[in-house]
Amino acid sequence: MPHIHIQDLSFSYPNAEAPVLQNISLTIHQGEYIALCGQSGSGKTTLLRHLKSVLTPHGVRTGSIHLDDTPLENVPAITQASKIGYVMQNPQEQPVTAKVWHELSFGLENIGCDTATIRTRVAEMACYFGIADWFHKDVSTLSGGQMQLLNLASIMAMQPDILILDEPTSQLDPLAASDFLNTVRKINLELGTTVIITEHRLEDILPSADRVLVLDQGRISALDTPKAVGALLWEKNSPMFSAMPTPMQVFYRAGATGQCPLTVREGRSWLGSSIPKTPPVSYLPAPKPFDSAATALEVKDIWFRYSRDSQDILRGASLSVPAGCIHAIVGGNGAGKSTFLKAICGSCKPYRGKVAVFGTNTKAYKGNLFQNCLAMLPQDPRSLFVKDTVLEDLQEVSKDTAQVCETCQITHLLDRHPYDLSGGEQQRAALAKVLLTKPRLLLLDEPTKGMDCFFKQTFAEVLCKLKQQGVTILMVSHDVEFCAKYADFVSMFFDGQVLTTHTPASFFGGNSFYTTAANRMSRAFFQNAVTADDVVALYQKNREAAQ
Amino acid sequence: MHSDGFSKYHPLTNFLFFLGAILFGVLFQHPAYLLAGMLCAGIYYVLLQGRKALKAIAGMLLLLLIVALINPIFNTQGSHILFRLFGRPYTLEALVYGFAVGSILVITLLWFGCYNQIMTEDKFTVLFGNLAPSLSLLLVMVFRLIPNLLSRARQINDARRAIGKGGDDLPLKEKITQGMAVLTALTGWALEGSIVTADSMRSRGYGAAKRTCFQIYQMGFGDYLVILAAVLAAIVTIIGAVTGATDATYTPLLWSAPVSFFLPVYCIYLLIPTFIHVKEVLQCRIFISRI
Amino acid sequence: MKKSTIATLISLFVLIPATLLLSRILPGRVHYLTSTLVIVYILIPFFLSFEGKKPSARVLVLIAVLCALAVASRAIFAMLPNFKPIYGIIIIAGIALGAQAGFLVGAVSAFASNFLFGQGPWTPWQMLAYGTCGLLAGLLYFRKDKLPRDPVSLGLFGFISVLFVVCPLLDTSTVLTTLTVFTPTAILGIYTTAILTNLIQAGCTLVTLLAISKPMLRKIDRIITKYGLLE
Repeated sequence: MPHIHIQDLSFSYPNAEAPVLQNISLTIHQGEYIALCGQSGSGKTTLLRHLKSVLTPHGVRTGSIHLDDTPLENVPAITQASKIGYVMQNPQEQPVTAKVWHELSFGLENIGCDTATIRTRVAEMACYFGIADWFHKDVSTLSGGQMQLLNLASIMAMQPDILILDEPTSQLDPLAASDFLNTVRKINLELGTTVIITEHRLEDILPSADRVLVLDQGRISALDTPKAVGALLWEKNSPMFSAMPTPMQVFYRAGATGQCPLTVREGRSWLGSSIPKTPPVSYLPAPKPFDSAATALEVKDIWFRYSRDSQDILRGASLSVPAGCIHAIVGGNGAGKSTFLKAICGSCKPYRGKVAVFGTNTKAYKGNLFQNCLAMLPQDPRSLFVKDTVLEDLQEVSKDTAQVCETCQITHLLDRHPYDLSGGEQQRAALAKVLLTKPRLLLLDEPTKGMDCFFKQTFAEVLCKLKQQGVTILMVSHDVEFCAKYADFVSMFFDGQVLTTHTPASFFGGNSFYTTAANRMSRAFFQNAVTADDVVALYQKNREAAQ
Repeated sequence: MHSDGFSKYHPLTNFLFFLGAILFGVLFQHPAYLLAGMLCAGIYYVLLQGRKALKAIAGMLLLLLIVALINPIFNTQGSHILFRLFGRPYTLEALVYGFAVGSILVITLLWFGCYNQIMTEDKFTVLFGNLAPSLSLLLVMVFRLIPNLLSRARQINDARRAIGKGGDDLPLKEKITQGMAVLTALTGWALEGSIVTADSMRSRGYGAAKRTCFQIYQMGFGDYLVILAAVLAAIVTIIGAVTGATDATYTPLLWSAPVSFFLPVYCIYLLIPTFIHVKEVLQCRIFISRI
Repeated sequence: MKKSTIATLISLFVLIPATLLLSRILPGRVHYLTSTLVIVYILIPFFLSFEGKKPSARVLVLIAVLCALAVASRAIFAMLPNFKPIYGIIIIAGIALGAQAGFLVGAVSAFASNFLFGQGPWTPWQMLAYGTCGLLAGLLYFRKDKLPRDPVSLGLFGFISVLFVVCPLLDTSTVLTTLTVFTPTAILGIYTTAILTNLIQAGCTLVTLLAISKPMLRKIDRIITKYGLLE
């Protein structure tokens, strides 16, 4: 018996020209794990929202959706509330109540459960999700990862049959994200809950997915097992192929045939079977080292703590950034990376050490530090939006917006409301606002957080253009793939200090855990291959050498 | 703050006690009852707040003095004229009455001080969750949002500083302008976020059925015992009040009913949380000594 | 008849007179108690009508956000210790959402902020005063075009209503808790000592409304129209 049956579903928003969804037909069985992917604007969220009546947007709809053979609109609201769970993107905004225990019970209160029932269900969930320790805590004291786990737990307390997740980990760091996705996997395996999920980090979910559904401009362009979908996307030359996991990309781009690898493990054994153990060509010629006479930023031995009796967050951090490069700082959660950036731009005042920007101590700049000199793009671009259109917001800084808008590729967005933009567009609009102060040193705090691979691409283009214009960029990021591809230098931040600084190739080539997927799958054969391009190039060279 | 025994009781027990204590405190103006009220409230306040309490109590006593000294200026009734101020009599009776009114004010402040410590927002909202479900949910949501907004306001402030807007040493006008910009940005952010929150509520069935209110606190044997004791003591005290044991007049003549058996009962009522607090501390010591 | 209407009628014509009568009969200082009870009777119909409406999730969150903004606004101006934009925000809430919601935002923000700064005998008075502030704004401006809505006019309205309605109500609480007799001179004495702080409060409200009434109202209206609230 089909569990969810979608027949010929089309949908368009009022006053919109093109429909968002066109002729979607789909059958989902009980207990399936479906990964839904597609570019921004392909209708992913709209499709997910159609699976729950209260969230369905207003507009013109044709076709039908059946849940266990009942048309969805005839399924009572109370049944839908408990049977269909829906987790949204932003962890901060989903909790309704102030206490963890209350959040867990919120849904059960809504459907009219009595106190005894709620007590057992809530206890059960707290144990299953390992949140018993913070049961009595205030929701506001939780980290993003904990909060998203709480959102999931409070939905699972209602014992849903179907779990819908709309980019649930886009605002989380990689560790919290994989924790969360593992929990989702566990729920799927242990409870048989049907999972429908959209996600940027396809490499994390494709191995668990039974089927992958690819949406392209509101139509289903592929629906099959992950490996078959990969093959199909490659064949069709679809842009979505670049969102697929690295091993799969390397496999097809290297021209290999047969069963494609999905995980790093499979990728590694495929490489092992197709090239000799000690390949004739094991490394690529090192690119010309970046060299610059001037120093943009010189941080010397800074120490910082938030209050007199708290622990030190920065413990003698030092860093030197040459002018004109893109310098990335990576490192674990809570290592103090963001605090380091704040200390550079003066939101945090280090009690020891000094920071010099372009050779002058920041204290000596007085009020001029942020004019034509230094600026920072905050982690959440929304921190910078004050006005009702992008243009007005930019004009808060400077009237002369044309060139910056072009650099950031937001000229077509100027009349829009900042909150109507997608995440990647918001990030570029915020960057434009920051750039209007004409900084020569630009600090970026987690710039690629929540972006899909296409927005990352555009964002990288913007950064490269800025680099050409001579802007020095220092970014803090969890995104090792992005840093490996675009940075000139990478530093490791740990325990309040900058530990090592290298070029991406030697930095990631030397690490075994904290490195890119391409490096992990190829490190047994190649040296310093850190991006998919590197691996493809080396693979092909070795194949040529073998023939 | 030390862990307090009384705060571990059911919110209803807490609430009923404070309701009684504050009502009695406002209504009785017999000097002996005022003194008893001040002492009992003061003891518990010190137990709850520790050293911080002493400073607050000093402030309250100053307030008492001010209220007492100012009142005879307006109230000229009474027969013992101490001296004349601007030609108006300043009487002993009015001064004493002023002290009495000041004491009532201090007693309420002390009890409210304890109440604030014990009746945290989650207790309050659970207590009134069944009576006013929408309102108590509204309050819960406000308490969820306040820390959220404050941390966002900090983020906005930091972000704006890093593009050269705002800072520490600005002229007053610029400080207000920047503060207003932060408030505007925060409003926009919070309002957009509210849509997600509303979706998350509806998606979890808000409005689909009649809401219940999860009572995380359970009434235990101890609660019934404390409530029983409090109700008995309160009834006796009320009988005393009705029969005139708590009566007193200040102007034009100082007079008060003779002190009777009702005063110790009133004290017993007021000392209930103190008893529980002390019992808990002692028990804790004994248990720890056994480890 | 609706439950809330019945409650309003009962409280206006039965409870309030009965309580006032009680304060005449009972000896001692019951006036503080009775005045508090009267305030509670005034608050109850508002709360009951809110309960009776079974507010939708979106309306509930919108009101919660405005309350939280009102409470949090003081902390944003922590660098200016006496600057309180709370009345400005309550007035804006009343203008955008109507008298009843305005009253609710006022009363709830007063109550909620007292969980942070301490409840006391002043709590009911603050709830009434802040609520009245939102109520007045809603009565005069919500969906009405007669009065000018430019920032200057709104600022003046805020200044006047805070100085002559909100602050006097708050001072009444002081009068009742500190005086032994209620002669006109005594009461006037209390009111005049507070005039300076009241002027500062009114001034803050004026500045707040001058600066943010326009952008804030626009942002609230955007949400209301975009998501079809209040329909």
